[in-house]
Amino acid sequence: MATKWQYILQSPVGDGRVHEMIRITREDFDPAQLLDEARSKELGALVSFLGVVRDDGIEGMDLEAYDEVAEEDLARIKDEAIARFGVLRVDIVHRVGMLAVGDNIVMIVVGAPHRKAAFQGCEFIIDRIKESVPIWKKEYTADGSRWVPGEHD
Amino acid sequence: MMSVRVRAFARFRELFGDRLEVAVSSPAMIRDVVMALGQVNADGLLELLDGEGRVKNSVIILVNRERITGKGREEHPVADGDEVAIYPPVAGG
Repeated sequence: MATKWQYILQSPVGDGRVHEMIRITREDFDPAQLLDEARSKELGALVSFLGVVRDDGIEGMDLEAYDEVAEEDLARIKDEAIARFGVLRVDIVHRVGMLAVGDNIVMIVVGAPHRKAAFQGCEFIIDRIKESVPIWKKEYTADGSRWVPGEHD
Repeated sequence: MMSVRVRAFARFRELFGDRLEVAVSSPAMIRDVVMALGQVNADGLLELLDGEGRVKNSVIILVNRERITGKGREEHPVADGDEVAIYPPVAGG
Protein backbone atom coordinates (compact mmCIF):
# COMPACT_ATOMS: atom_id res chain seq x y z
CA MET A 1 0.00 0.00 0.00
CA ALA A 2 1.42 3.36 -1.03
CA THR A 3 2.07 5.86 1.73
CA LYS A 4 0.95 9.44 1.32
CA TRP A 5 4.55 10.46 0.62
CA GLN A 6 4.90 7.93 -2.19
CA TYR A 7 1.68 9.12 -3.71
CA ILE A 8 2.95 12.71 -3.83
CA LEU A 9 6.21 11.61 -5.44
CA GLN A 10 4.33 9.65 -8.05
CA SER A 11 1.95 12.46 -8.92
CA PRO A 12 2.53 13.58 -12.50
CA VAL A 13 3.88 17.14 -12.64
CA GLY A 14 1.37 19.65 -13.89
CA ASP A 15 -1.54 17.22 -14.00
CA GLY A 16 -2.42 18.00 -10.43
CA ARG A 17 -3.38 21.53 -11.43
CA VAL A 18 -6.86 22.74 -10.75
CA HIS A 19 -8.44 23.36 -14.10
CA GLU A 20 -8.24 26.83 -15.56
CA MET A 21 -11.41 28.89 -15.39
CA ILE A 22 -12.91 31.23 -17.96
CA ARG A 23 -16.33 32.25 -16.73
CA ILE A 24 -19.13 34.80 -16.67
CA THR A 25 -21.02 34.19 -13.45
CA ARG A 26 -23.69 35.55 -11.13
CA GLU A 27 -21.82 34.04 -8.17
CA ASP A 28 -19.17 35.75 -6.09
CA PHE A 29 -15.67 34.28 -6.04
CA ASP A 30 -12.87 34.04 -3.50
CA PRO A 31 -9.80 35.93 -4.81
CA ALA A 32 -7.39 34.16 -2.46
CA GLN A 33 -8.69 30.76 -3.51
CA LEU A 34 -8.45 31.57 -7.23
CA LEU A 35 -4.88 32.71 -6.82
CA ASP A 36 -3.91 29.72 -4.72
CA GLU A 37 -5.48 27.25 -7.15
CA ALA A 38 -3.36 28.69 -9.96
CA ARG A 39 -0.12 27.55 -8.33
CA SER A 40 1.92 24.89 -10.08
CA LYS A 41 5.56 23.90 -10.32
CA GLU A 42 6.36 25.57 -13.62
CA LEU A 43 4.85 28.93 -12.68
CA GLY A 44 7.42 31.13 -10.99
CA ALA A 45 5.18 34.18 -11.24
CA LEU A 46 1.49 34.64 -10.66
CA VAL A 47 0.05 38.11 -11.36
CA SER A 48 -3.56 38.86 -10.50
CA PHE A 49 -5.91 41.73 -11.23
CA LEU A 50 -8.99 42.23 -9.07
CA GLY A 51 -11.60 44.75 -10.21
CA VAL A 52 -13.88 46.03 -7.43
CA VAL A 53 -16.95 48.30 -7.41
CA ARG A 54 -15.68 51.79 -6.54
CA ASP A 55 -17.68 54.30 -4.50
CA ASP A 56 -18.42 57.01 -7.06
CA GLY A 57 -21.42 58.19 -5.09
CA ILE A 58 -23.36 55.15 -6.29
CA GLU A 59 -25.53 52.71 -4.39
CA GLY A 60 -24.65 49.82 -6.62
CA MET A 61 -24.37 48.64 -10.18
CA ASP A 62 -26.08 46.08 -12.36
CA LEU A 63 -23.82 44.23 -14.76
CA GLU A 64 -25.09 42.60 -17.91
CA ALA A 65 -23.32 40.45 -20.50
CA TYR A 66 -23.97 38.72 -23.80
CA ASP A 67 -22.86 35.58 -21.97
CA GLU A 68 -22.14 33.22 -24.86
CA VAL A 69 -20.16 35.77 -26.84
CA ALA A 70 -18.41 37.17 -23.76
CA GLU A 71 -17.14 33.71 -22.78
CA GLU A 72 -15.94 33.04 -26.34
CA ASP A 73 -14.18 36.41 -26.36
CA LEU A 74 -12.52 35.75 -23.00
CA ALA A 75 -11.24 32.40 -24.27
CA ARG A 76 -9.87 34.11 -27.39
CA ILE A 77 -8.16 36.82 -25.32
CA LYS A 78 -6.61 34.12 -23.17
CA ASP A 79 -5.23 32.35 -26.25
CA GLU A 80 -3.88 35.66 -27.53
CA ALA A 81 -2.10 36.33 -24.22
CA ILE A 82 -0.56 32.86 -24.32
CA ALA A 83 0.62 33.36 -27.91
CA ARG A 84 1.96 36.89 -27.38
CA PHE A 85 3.62 36.68 -23.98
CA GLY A 86 4.27 33.00 -23.42
CA VAL A 87 2.17 32.88 -20.26
CA LEU A 88 1.16 29.36 -19.28
CA ARG A 89 -2.00 29.79 -17.28
CA VAL A 90 -4.91 32.22 -17.42
CA ASP A 91 -8.03 32.37 -15.27
CA ILE A 92 -10.71 34.99 -15.86
CA VAL A 93 -13.89 35.27 -13.81
CA HIS A 94 -16.28 38.16 -14.48
CA ARG A 95 -19.46 38.69 -12.52
CA VAL A 96 -22.83 39.91 -13.74
CA GLY A 97 -25.90 40.91 -11.76
CA MET A 98 -26.45 43.46 -9.02
CA LEU A 99 -23.30 44.44 -7.13
CA ALA A 100 -22.69 46.80 -4.21
CA VAL A 101 -19.76 49.11 -3.52
CA GLY A 102 -16.77 46.97 -2.55
CA ASP A 103 -17.99 43.84 -4.33
CA ASN A 104 -15.71 41.87 -6.62
CA ILE A 105 -16.35 42.48 -10.34
CA VAL A 106 -13.60 40.67 -12.18
CA MET A 107 -10.50 38.66 -11.39
CA ILE A 108 -7.69 37.70 -13.72
CA VAL A 109 -4.88 35.37 -12.72
CA VAL A 110 -1.96 34.95 -15.09
CA GLY A 111 0.81 32.44 -14.47
CA ALA A 112 4.17 32.39 -16.25
CA PRO A 113 7.66 31.10 -15.59
CA HIS A 114 8.86 34.68 -14.93
CA ARG A 115 7.29 37.93 -13.72
CA LYS A 116 7.58 40.04 -16.86
CA ALA A 117 5.38 37.84 -19.03
CA ALA A 118 2.85 37.51 -16.19
CA PHE A 119 2.59 41.28 -15.70
CA GLN A 120 2.34 41.97 -19.44
CA GLY A 121 -0.18 39.22 -20.00
CA CYS A 122 -2.39 40.39 -17.15
CA GLU A 123 -2.43 44.03 -18.31
CA PHE A 124 -3.11 42.94 -21.89
CA ILE A 125 -6.08 40.84 -20.78
CA ILE A 126 -7.83 43.52 -18.69
CA ASP A 127 -7.27 46.11 -21.45
CA ARG A 128 -8.78 43.80 -24.06
CA ILE A 129 -11.75 43.01 -21.81
CA LYS A 130 -12.52 46.71 -21.45
CA GLU A 131 -12.23 47.25 -25.21
CA SER A 132 -14.20 44.45 -26.67
CA VAL A 133 -15.99 41.94 -24.43
CA PRO A 134 -19.79 42.49 -24.43
CA ILE A 135 -20.36 43.47 -20.81
CA TRP A 136 -22.14 46.61 -19.60
CA LYS A 137 -22.65 48.38 -16.27
CA LYS A 138 -25.62 50.39 -15.11
CA GLU A 139 -24.95 52.50 -12.04
CA TYR A 140 -27.66 53.20 -9.49
CA THR A 141 -27.53 56.42 -7.48
CA ALA A 142 -29.93 58.12 -5.09
CA ASP A 143 -31.23 60.10 -8.09
CA GLY A 144 -31.74 57.27 -10.55
CA SER A 145 -29.60 55.21 -12.88
CA ARG A 146 -27.19 55.66 -15.75
CA TRP A 147 -25.32 53.40 -18.15
CA VAL A 148 -21.56 53.61 -17.82
CA PRO A 149 -20.40 54.85 -21.22
CA GLY A 150 -18.07 52.57 -23.17
CA GLU A 151 -14.59 53.91 -23.72
CA HIS A 152 -14.18 52.42 -27.16
CA ASP A 153 -15.92 52.32 -30.54
CA MET B 1 -41.21 36.48 -45.23
CA MET B 2 -38.61 35.06 -42.90
CA SER B 3 -37.95 35.29 -39.21
CA VAL B 4 -34.80 36.64 -37.57
CA ARG B 5 -34.00 36.38 -33.88
CA VAL B 6 -32.82 39.64 -32.40
CA ARG B 7 -30.98 40.06 -29.13
CA ALA B 8 -30.45 43.51 -27.67
CA PHE B 9 -28.29 44.48 -24.73
CA ALA B 10 -27.88 47.31 -22.22
CA ARG B 11 -29.57 50.52 -23.43
CA PHE B 12 -30.90 48.75 -26.52
CA ARG B 13 -32.44 46.00 -24.42
CA GLU B 14 -34.38 48.65 -22.56
CA LEU B 15 -35.65 50.00 -25.88
CA PHE B 16 -36.53 46.78 -27.69
CA GLY B 17 -36.49 43.91 -25.18
CA ASP B 18 -33.76 41.32 -24.71
CA ARG B 19 -35.00 38.69 -27.16
CA LEU B 20 -37.45 39.21 -29.98
CA GLU B 21 -38.30 37.84 -33.39
CA VAL B 22 -38.76 40.15 -36.34
CA ALA B 23 -40.26 39.26 -39.71
CA VAL B 24 -38.46 40.58 -42.78
CA SER B 25 -38.93 39.79 -46.46
CA SER B 26 -36.39 37.48 -48.07
CA PRO B 27 -33.63 38.10 -49.10
CA ALA B 28 -32.79 40.34 -46.18
CA MET B 29 -29.86 42.33 -44.95
CA ILE B 30 -28.87 43.80 -41.61
CA ARG B 31 -30.50 47.10 -42.50
CA ASP B 32 -33.90 45.41 -42.91
CA VAL B 33 -33.63 43.87 -39.47
CA VAL B 34 -32.66 47.15 -37.81
CA MET B 35 -35.47 49.03 -39.54
CA ALA B 36 -37.96 46.35 -38.43
CA LEU B 37 -37.14 47.30 -34.83
CA GLY B 38 -39.02 50.53 -35.53
CA GLN B 39 -42.25 48.51 -35.31
CA VAL B 40 -41.32 47.59 -31.74
CA ASN B 41 -40.25 51.07 -30.71
CA ALA B 42 -40.23 53.89 -33.28
CA ASP B 43 -38.44 56.35 -30.99
CA GLY B 44 -35.98 53.65 -30.04
CA LEU B 45 -35.06 53.12 -33.68
CA LEU B 46 -34.09 56.79 -33.93
CA GLU B 47 -31.45 56.20 -31.24
CA LEU B 48 -29.79 53.69 -33.57
CA LEU B 49 -29.63 55.98 -36.60
CA ASP B 50 -27.49 58.97 -37.43
CA GLY B 51 -28.67 62.20 -39.12
CA GLU B 52 -28.54 60.55 -42.54
CA GLY B 53 -30.56 57.53 -41.53
CA ARG B 54 -27.58 55.18 -41.41
CA VAL B 55 -26.97 52.90 -38.46
CA LYS B 56 -24.60 54.73 -36.12
CA ASN B 57 -21.03 53.44 -36.02
CA SER B 58 -21.36 53.15 -32.24
CA VAL B 59 -24.05 50.48 -32.66
CA ILE B 60 -22.25 47.15 -32.61
CA ILE B 61 -23.86 44.43 -34.72
CA LEU B 62 -23.25 40.68 -34.66
CA VAL B 63 -24.78 38.02 -36.87
CA ASN B 64 -24.64 34.54 -35.39
CA ARG B 65 -22.13 35.82 -32.81
CA GLU B 66 -19.75 37.20 -35.44
CA ARG B 67 -19.16 40.92 -35.37
CA ILE B 68 -19.97 42.64 -38.67
CA THR B 69 -17.89 45.74 -39.36
CA GLY B 70 -17.00 48.04 -42.23
CA LYS B 71 -18.75 50.56 -44.40
CA GLY B 72 -21.02 48.06 -46.12
CA ARG B 73 -22.14 46.26 -42.98
CA GLU B 74 -25.78 47.31 -43.34
CA GLU B 75 -25.90 45.34 -46.60
CA HIS B 76 -24.58 42.18 -44.93
CA PRO B 77 -27.01 39.33 -45.71
CA VAL B 78 -29.18 37.81 -43.00
CA ALA B 79 -30.84 34.40 -43.37
CA ASP B 80 -33.97 32.85 -41.91
CA GLY B 81 -33.34 31.87 -38.28
CA ASP B 82 -30.16 33.93 -37.91
CA GLU B 83 -29.39 35.58 -34.59
CA VAL B 84 -28.70 39.30 -34.92
CA ALA B 85 -27.36 41.05 -31.82
CA ILE B 86 -27.13 44.79 -31.29
CA TYR B 87 -25.39 46.57 -28.47
CA PRO B 88 -23.71 49.84 -27.51
CA PRO B 89 -19.97 50.19 -26.77
CA VAL B 90 -18.94 47.80 -23.99
CA ALA B 91 -18.01 48.85 -20.47
CA GLY B 92 -16.95 45.73 -18.60
CA GLY B 93 -13.90 45.04 -16.51
